[in-house]
Order: sequence, then structure tokens, then C-alpha cells
Amino acid sequence: MGKETPAEKSLNLIRGRLCDPSYVFRPLSASSDSNYSKLKFIVSTSITEGCNNSMLLLGPRGSGKAAVLDLVVGDLLEQFPDSVSVIRLNGLLHSDDNCAFKEIAKQLCMEHHLLFSKMASFDDNSQFIIAMLRACGLAHKTIIFVLDEFDMFAQGKQRLLYSLLDAMQSVTSQAVVVGISSRLDADQLLEKRVRSRFSHRKFLFLPPSREELDGLFVHLLSLPADSGFPSGYVSRFNDKIKNLTSDTRFKDILKTLFNANSTVNSFLKFIFCAVSLMNLESGLLSLENFKAALSSMQRQPKLEAVRDCSVLELYLLVCMRRLEVKEQSSYNFISVMKEYKAIHDSFHTSDYYAQNVCLRAFEHLRERQVICYAENRGQSQTGEYRLQKLLISASELHQGMRSHACCPAILLKLLDH
Amino acid sequence: MPAIAGPSSSPQKHVVGSRSESIGGVRSAEVNTSRKRKLRSDSAAEVSATVVLPVNSISTPMKWKSPRRCAVSIPKTSDEEIKEDSNEKLENPVISVCLEVKSKWNPKDDEQMKAVKEALHVSKAPSTVVCREDEQRRVFEFVKGCMEQKKAGSLYICGCPGTGKSLSMEKVRLQAEEWAKQAGLHCPETVSVNCTSLTKSTDIFSKILGNYESGKKANGSFSPLQQLQRLFSQKQQQSRSKMMLIIADEMDYLITRDRGVLHELFMLTTLPFSRCILIGVANAIDLADRFLPKLKSLNCKPLVVTFRAYSKDQILRILQERLVALPFVAFQSNALEICARKVSAASGDMRKALCVCRSALEILEIEVRGSIDQEPKGPVPECQVVKMDHMIAALSKTFKSPIVDTIQSLPQHQQIIVCSAAKAFRGSKKDRTIAELNKLYLEICKSSMITPAGITEFSNMCTVLNDQGILKLSHARDDKLKRVSLRVDEADITFALKEIRFFRNCLL
Repeated sequence: MGKETPAEKSLNLIRGRLCDPSYVFRPLSASSDSNYSKLKFIVSTSITEGCNNSMLLLGPRGSGKAAVLDLVVGDLLEQFPDSVSVIRLNGLLHSDDNCAFKEIAKQLCMEHHLLFSKMASFDDNSQFIIAMLRACGLAHKTIIFVLDEFDMFAQGKQRLLYSLLDAMQSVTSQAVVVGISSRLDADQLLEKRVRSRFSHRKFLFLPPSREELDGLFVHLLSLPADSGFPSGYVSRFNDKIKNLTSDTRFKDILKTLFNANSTVNSFLKFIFCAVSLMNLESGLLSLENFKAALSSMQRQPKLEAVRDCSVLELYLLVCMRRLEVKEQSSYNFISVMKEYKAIHDSFHTSDYYAQNVCLRAFEHLRERQVICYAENRGQSQTGEYRLQKLLISASELHQGMRSHACCPAILLKLLDH
Repeated sequence: MPAIAGPSSSPQKHVVGSRSESIGGVRSAEVNTSRKRKLRSDSAAEVSATVVLPVNSISTPMKWKSPRRCAVSIPKTSDEEIKEDSNEKLENPVISVCLEVKSKWNPKDDEQMKAVKEALHVSKAPSTVVCREDEQRRVFEFVKGCMEQKKAGSLYICGCPGTGKSLSMEKVRLQAEEWAKQAGLHCPETVSVNCTSLTKSTDIFSKILGNYESGKKANGSFSPLQQLQRLFSQKQQQSRSKMMLIIADEMDYLITRDRGVLHELFMLTTLPFSRCILIGVANAIDLADRFLPKLKSLNCKPLVVTFRAYSKDQILRILQERLVALPFVAFQSNALEICARKVSAASGDMRKALCVCRSALEILEIEVRGSIDQEPKGPVPECQVVKMDHMIAALSKTFKSPIVDTIQSLPQHQQIIVCSAAKAFRGSKKDRTIAELNKLYLEICKSSMITPAGITEFSNMCTVLNDQGILKLSHARDDKLKRVSLRVDEADITFALKEIRFFRNCLL
């Protein structure tokens, strides 16, 4: 294999960075009123002062809630090595109360090197948990409960939530309950008893601003000056990155991306895709990489289907569209053929095929799911007489035809008229 | 002491005096004296703790103002009064405490911050339960009556969450035990069960039995309920005539479809030789009527004591009661008042009020100390108590729904989808398919020359909005046939998007 080229090394380095949530979210959390610092402040004061707290992290998927929480927990474990233990539950796995209590008991046993018996009943588990909470409270050890997919715990009788939050109301236990949910109204799903015991601290994870994202982009992709890269390469790479960020076309690409999905995770996916397309010979990122990444992220399958159609199939699609424009919302193969003949007669196009060839083209279109039967009822009729409808919109058809390799110009004219 | 007596006679000026307006003149004197006493008693301890004393004692004389000049608005008076208190008694070690009041919010003073937070924590039960004396007295009289006559009885306590029911039950239990000791009766055995911890509702009987028959093993052939019934139907010997106090918390978890368990539980008190005093606690006011109709016919309906939601005055009083034990003033009185007002208007839930106060404390703490890694932003202000603006910020954090902020920060296409959903569901139709919503979406995009997203991207965005709780998607085999409905109020959407002219016109 030999030594890695600088390009390969840089690719590995960047890809490694993109897959490491703590590297990504640390600069985003640097400011003092970010969610990271507020969360860390509250949890650390709960630990040092020994008071109980509960809070909820809300935000769309991929906005970094679990990552920021992991950052905070990691920092706290370093800061207070012996006084923190973490129990993690997931609403998708442990929404059943029995299961959840068993899991908590198991994790507590593992933390404290006790033996866990699978035969323990629900009562045994809950008594064990209460006893452990009391023991940890006496030893000034805080237990942090992390409840992922919090809204799934709010189904059913909410016994787990009630017991946890009730345990936190007593002086003997020392615990922090952190719920993570993507539903904004997660606390409205709670029963009134549980909601009363929940201290209404909510942290909203909103998408970062454009400046933060630009800063993040540069931070992720800049190569460090040392660490074994040839220095000329490093400066060329970083300059290219800087040029890209000030390029208006690149800004347009980012704008199209963020108009659909502005979470941090989708941004990371986009960068990962673009970086993987890097040209390994030159070892530098270019604008084309990012364009290709955008189109691979925002795929339009129907468009690609249209792009792969034959010219006859395009004719049929245009005929159907024209019928729709003429307010004839229900049509079948026969009416499409009529329109096709009409076009041929008026414009004298060269592509005029017989009916059975057209029928075959129709079948192809239906297999590609570009058109389909309008209703499921007329099964007895043959395919020619059943009503059809288009499954793509006019703009998709338009775009597909424009990017088609050999679409005749007359078709575009016919579509537009 | 002239300095302290002075303020109390002029109620407008002193913070403690302002409390007197709401409580009553007599009380203010008590509070003053108790504060004074605390100051004196704590002074010895505080002196040793104050390292910052010399610095502050030098700074205060310059800010000293005569008491006569203190007729200014309330926010200033607290500190001024404290300063003049301290200055009147420059020699007295009490000063150290008063000066500590000012330096309380310095980063060095963790102890005081911790003390305030602890005083306001939900888990800390206050030594005296205020504002529930009436209800407690009724319950205690009932329990006393039962114990004196050696008869069984049942009581049902209802009220919203956070109104002090479980807390009062604990106090009543202690009171009953004390009274039993004084009156020379046997101390009642207590079984306190939280019904959420029962796997099956019939487990409650085995819990009661376990307590009663401690030492004897349960007879295998009879269920715990039957054993209890047998026990209570036979005459007991004199030596075993201990009363049993059963407190069943969150009793509505015992409601089964045939209401059997609940009935049997209350019927236990009607058996001839029953010795149990049953107190059930739940939230529903009409639980006894709705679920226990049979008891009425047997003329043994339980006594009902309702714990009403706290009013503004009650909340204010409870908060002040908790804070009065501290040797310093941590909250401005109008901050407490606005908290009490808002919480009583919303739900009357004491836990929420305590939570809001702690939140306001944290806001102040961050302002003064900076958060855990950073230094405080901007100059640290002089007088540092929790003021109105801290409390207002804490209230808005607690009561505000995150919907408006989220809608405002959605990406553009998702905002258009939300907008088209608001338009679509304006009339009577409450749900549509994704395909129909897509049509509306395309119309809006066309009218504003925005390139619309394809149908795959569109249904992905609808799924994202569903995850966030803004839309509701049903399940269907085909993506396009899923039915969409709106979960958010249209008024919220209009409010959130009103800044953007395009959406404003759209939603007209």
C-alpha cells in the first residue's frame, strides 16, 4: 500500500472530525448563553449543592441535543469523577414500565459492581432503585437519568416518570432527570400529576445562525498547520476553503440546502458527501464537489425517471399534460392517442408510431410509476380504456425534459404554449 | 433597637414593612423580631465565616444615608435599610451579617446561595404548614375522634396537584402519634402506600395485611382481602386493639373496571370489628360519588375534605414563610408578588411557584457570577437581590410555549408548508392527504417565484414537522395517501409568522 498521500490523509482526518459529535459541537457551544453552558451550569449546581432538578431538551431531530448532553456529561464526569453516575434510557426501547425498571436496576448494578438477577420482579426492582437512590443521596453521589425519546415514556400510565419525578421530591435522593424529545409539546403530554412534579425547565435547540454555520464550516475543514502535512499543501487547502466561503455560488448552494433543512446534522451529511467526492489527485475541494453533494442529497426520483424516458414516452407525457391543461382531468389511452395524432397532424413531427408501440411505451411509463391508474375499480376493462393519471407535477416534467439528453425542442414548445 | 424599630413603624419604606401590608401589622412586628433574633443568634457563626467583612465595612460609610432620606421607591429601600442598619451598629457583630447580605451574591459566597436554594426546594418540607391549618385540623379531628371511640372510619382527600395534600397527611400522622402518646392511647400503626407502586391493585391488601400481621405468615388458602375481612369480623382481644391508619396516595390507580378493589377497601372500614382509619388521597373531586355509589346506600360514605388550589395571597405567604428563616433578604417583595399572582392565575400549584422562584435565582446567579466557564458579562450591579425583571424572565421561560420560537426558526420551505396547512384547515375540513397539501404548497411557491421542493422532499419535511408536533401524520401504505392535520393553533402560526410580509399576505 505504501504511504498515504496527503490528500488521503486529509480526507481521513476530515471524515474523522465529521463523525465525532464532540468536535463538531464544541465550537457551536462556546458562547456563554448557548444551551451547553446553561445546561452545564444547572447540572453542576445540582451536583454541588445536592438539590434535585429535572429538565427537558427540545428541538428537531439532528439539532445536537444528545451530542450537547454528552458533552456536558463528559465534562462533569471529568470534573467530579466519583460523584456522578449516569443511567440512560430510551423511550423506544424501554417505554414499558417493567422493562424500564429492569433496565435502571441493571445499569445501577453495573455501575456499582453489584450482581443483577434477571428473575427480579417489578416490586423488587423498584425497591432496589429506591434504596439505591437513598444510599447515593447519603453518599452525596448524584445520579443523572437521561431519558431519550421522552415523549414515548409519556404513553400509558406514565408510572416510570411518576416514580422518578416523585423520588426527586424527597430529600433523601439526589438525582437529575434530563428528558430529550423532538416533540415541542412533550410536557403537555404528561399527566397533570407528573407535570406538577416536573420543574418546567426547557432548553430549546434552534438551528444555528448563518455566521455560526460558516464558522463551523471553516473550523471543520481547515487543516492544522502541524501534524505531518506538507506545509504548502496545507496553505493551499485552507486558502481554497476560504475562497469557497466567499463565493456567491457556494452561498447559493448553502441557501438551497438550508431552505429545506437547517439542522446541523443535515449540514454535516452534506459536507461529508462533498468531501468524499474530493479529487484525490489535486487534493483540494472544489465547488463541483459541493454541487454534486447537494444534488445527491436532494434527489428527485421522478425527475430521474423522466430523464431516462425515451422520446416517444416523452411525447405521451406531454400529451397527457396538455389534456390536463385543457381541463380534461380524466383521460385514458385512447384520448391520449387522439391528442398525439392531433399534434402530429398540426406540427408534422417525425416521430409518429403505431398504436401498439405506443401502448408498450405506456406500459413502460406505468412500470416506472410515472403514471398510474386513476382508480382501482375498472379491473375488468383492458388497459387501453382505463383512466390514467400523471404522478409527476408539471414542473418536474419540465425540469426532466430540460435535462433530458435528446429531447426534441418541439416538445418543450408544446408543453409551454 | 432604634434602627430596626424605626423601619417597622414606617411601613412604606422597609421591605419587611411592605410585607406587613399584605399580612397585617402584627405579623410584621413578629417578622422583624424574629429576623432580629436570627441576626443575633447567627451573628456568632457568621462572624467566623465572613472574610470579606473588612472590605465592605470600609466601603459602606460613603454610601450611608440618613434614615429620613430613605423615603424612596421600594426597590432601593431594601439595600438602603440594610446599609443603615449596619451603619447604626458599627461596633455590633450583627453588622457582619448585614454586610454579608450585601455581599451575598458575590461568587465567593456559595453557602448563602445554597441556603436560599434549599429553602425554596420542593423536597424540603417546611416545619410548619401554613395556609392548610383548616383542612389539617379537620382531618386531625376526624382521626382523633376515631381513635377515641376506637371506631373505624374513612376519609377522602381531594385536590389539584401541588396543593399540599401529601404534606398535610404527614403532619397529621405525626400529630396523631403525638396526641396518642399524650392521651395515653396506643400509637396507631401507619401504612402509607403510594398506589402507583403497586403492580396489581389487589396488592394493597397484602400490604395492609403485612403490616397488621407482622410476624405471622400469610395463610395460603385465603387471599389477603379475605383474610383481612375475617380479621375484622371477629372480636379482637384487648391487647391487640391498636388502631391502624391507612393512607392511600394516588388512589385513582386503584380504580379498575368493576371498581371492586376500591369498594372492598372502603368496605373494610364498615366491618363490625374493623380498626382501620382509611384516608384516601386523589385528584378527582367526585371520586367518592362516581366510583363508590354503593357506599352511599350503606350510609358509610367517606368524609370529603377538599384542598383547594392556592390563591395569590396564600402562595405569597408560603413563599415568605420559607424565606423568613434566612438571615437575609433574597427577593424583592414585588418579585414574589408577581410570581404568586401569575401562578395562582394559572394553576394554583405550589410546586410551580417554587420552581419559578428557583429559576429566577439562577438567572440572577448567572448574571452575577457568569456561567460555569465564563466571567460575568458586563459590570456586576451593586444591589443584588432577585428583582422584578429576573422574575419576569423566569415566568416567561416557564409559561411560554416553544412553538412560536420554533416556527420562526424553521427553514423557509417548512414555513411555507406550515402556512399552507394553516390555510387548508381553516374551514371545516380537519384533515387532508399529503397530495392535497402538496398542491396548496405548490400554489404558494408559484405565487412567490420560489422553486418548490419535489414530492419526496416534501413528504420528508412533513415527517420532520410531525416529529416536532406541529403536524400530525397518519399511517398509510402509500406516502401520498397519508392524512395530515394540524396540531398547532392557527393563531400561533399567524403570530409567529407576522414579521414576514410574504406570510402575512398569504395567511390573510
